[in-house]
Amino acid sequence: MQEIIIGIGVTAFAGALAAMAGAAEDTESNIGSQGDPNSQVQLAPQMGYTHRIYNKAVSGEPPAYTLWVTLACGIAWAFTMLHVNAMLAIIFGTVLATFVQGIYATTAYLGRTASLSKFGQPVFIDVLKSVTTVTMAHAFVAILTTVAACYLMSTMLQHPFALPLLGIVWGLALGAAGSATGNPYYGKERQYQNQKFGAGVPISASGNIVRYAEAGQRSSIDNGFFTAKFGGPASGLCFGLIVFLELWRTVLFEHSLDNWGAVGWGAVIVGALIIVLFMIIDRYVEIWARTNYGPYTAEA
Amino acid sequence: MSAIAAKPGAAAGAFQPVASLIAIFFAIIFIGTAYWLLGSFGCLAVEALIGIIIGAALIAFGVHFVPVGGAPAAMGQSPGIATGVAMLATGAGLAGLFGGAWAAHIGLWVALAGGAIGGGLMMAITCLMVNISYVYGMGIPAASGKVEKDPITGDSQPEYKSQGTEGHGLPFISYVGGVFGGLLGGLGGTLIYIELLNFYNVILLPTSEGTNALAVGLAGIFAIGMFLVIAVLSAYNITGTIEGPHDPKFKRFPRAIVAAICASGICGLVALLVVAIF
Repeated sequence: MQEIIIGIGVTAFAGALAAMAGAAEDTESNIGSQGDPNSQVQLAPQMGYTHRIYNKAVSGEPPAYTLWVTLACGIAWAFTMLHVNAMLAIIFGTVLATFVQGIYATTAYLGRTASLSKFGQPVFIDVLKSVTTVTMAHAFVAILTTVAACYLMSTMLQHPFALPLLGIVWGLALGAAGSATGNPYYGKERQYQNQKFGAGVPISASGNIVRYAEAGQRSSIDNGFFTAKFGGPASGLCFGLIVFLELWRTVLFEHSLDNWGAVGWGAVIVGALIIVLFMIIDRYVEIWARTNYGPYTAEA
Repeated sequence: MSAIAAKPGAAAGAFQPVASLIAIFFAIIFIGTAYWLLGSFGCLAVEALIGIIIGAALIAFGVHFVPVGGAPAAMGQSPGIATGVAMLATGAGLAGLFGGAWAAHIGLWVALAGGAIGGGLMMAITCLMVNISYVYGMGIPAASGKVEKDPITGDSQPEYKSQGTEGHGLPFISYVGGVFGGLLGGLGGTLIYIELLNFYNVILLPTSEGTNALAVGLAGIFAIGMFLVIAVLSAYNITGTIEGPHDPKFKRFPRAIVAAICASGICGLVALLVVAIF
């Protein structure tokens, strides 16, 4: 019984850490402009719209976060093997991974922006100075919380995978969840705030991203400020739910059907029920949107 | 004929019987090589390699179900999830592998089911949050660009599609496809992991706890590596974006399965030999 209670506590804590990680990951990727919406940041100067938006698509978010989280997990694991305090080891690993992220961000911004010089896009050194550190700070939060959640899974919940292997699994899932949920909000809603609300961006408008703020030119930090109100929390909820429910169904229900001879099947059945529940919610959301928003109508 | 003059458009994605036969022939050679090179472990190696190949075929099939819109989806210009095919499928598959590996000590079938459910759960949550983001964050209802009516719900699609786009969001068929893709990915990934784990356990000798920690680590890393190989191969077959099982591109899946059989044959052979020889 005590084991289950500790398991539930750890599950809740890991879920909360994952929610923070998802929110920080999405905000980091929007401030740094990583992932699919960055295609528009890269395209804009080619269409004649020079801008001051950061441009650091090192790679897709999932492989990038796999690298950073695994790096941090690997270093933390090595330090714990040397009997360094676990919390310190996780922080050491995260700090180093954050510096790697900073180096990638700097080289990506300089390289990508320099490649646009023939379209008249300048490299802004003040943008590099002001934005890089902000993305690094958000990356630090995302990496630290993910590594801490992995550490809990490895030590408290006795998952068979070693910490670096868990880093690969959850780093990739973090990037996948964050980019899937957060990208449309940054790409459609923020970059194309000048387009109609409640409709997709026409392909003909590609590249015409919003470049001016209330006062002066828009900065990438403004984008983080905007997306942190919806895209970030939604990504956090997404990754938090993934981690929480994956652990919860196993910790609480794995042996619930053992007395009926179905050893271990409890977690599987609960997982299947949760999937069906999410399907019903999704269908409700779809019908709600169709009835409340109605069909697309062109502007008169 | 120059590369520009050649028009691959019409034949793109078509099944090529000769090439497929050659690929399967190679896979059989890899299995035979495993039997021949691994001596007294030959039968075990053949069993493991066949399991790996089946797992890879499941992954390749599953990737085609996942609705991925790539960069255009991030601007609401095409339906699907706004990220890469390979990465999303791998994310779901690895979440499944996490669950499967956790249940591996209980038994094969529980682990496989746990892996499948883990992958499906990850996709169910992600797809739901995508739709919530579109509907409540951006006020855009889901609309498919490839079909007139949703094959499951029968909802008509074209009138909900914004002008100048190919659709947006995840119609219910895409949602179900995503969950099914996650299930297959998790199942295939866990099968590869368990086959490798069983083989390594015999080679590296299990400890008193039943499994060898080194075997777990090696099986995990090789399973992840093979998952990436198969997911990327399938992503090439899809070429960018796919809406799900109702998309015409879905019919290309036999080609990806054949490629996965061949690729997993050589990858699996290397994974077995690396541990058996060293």
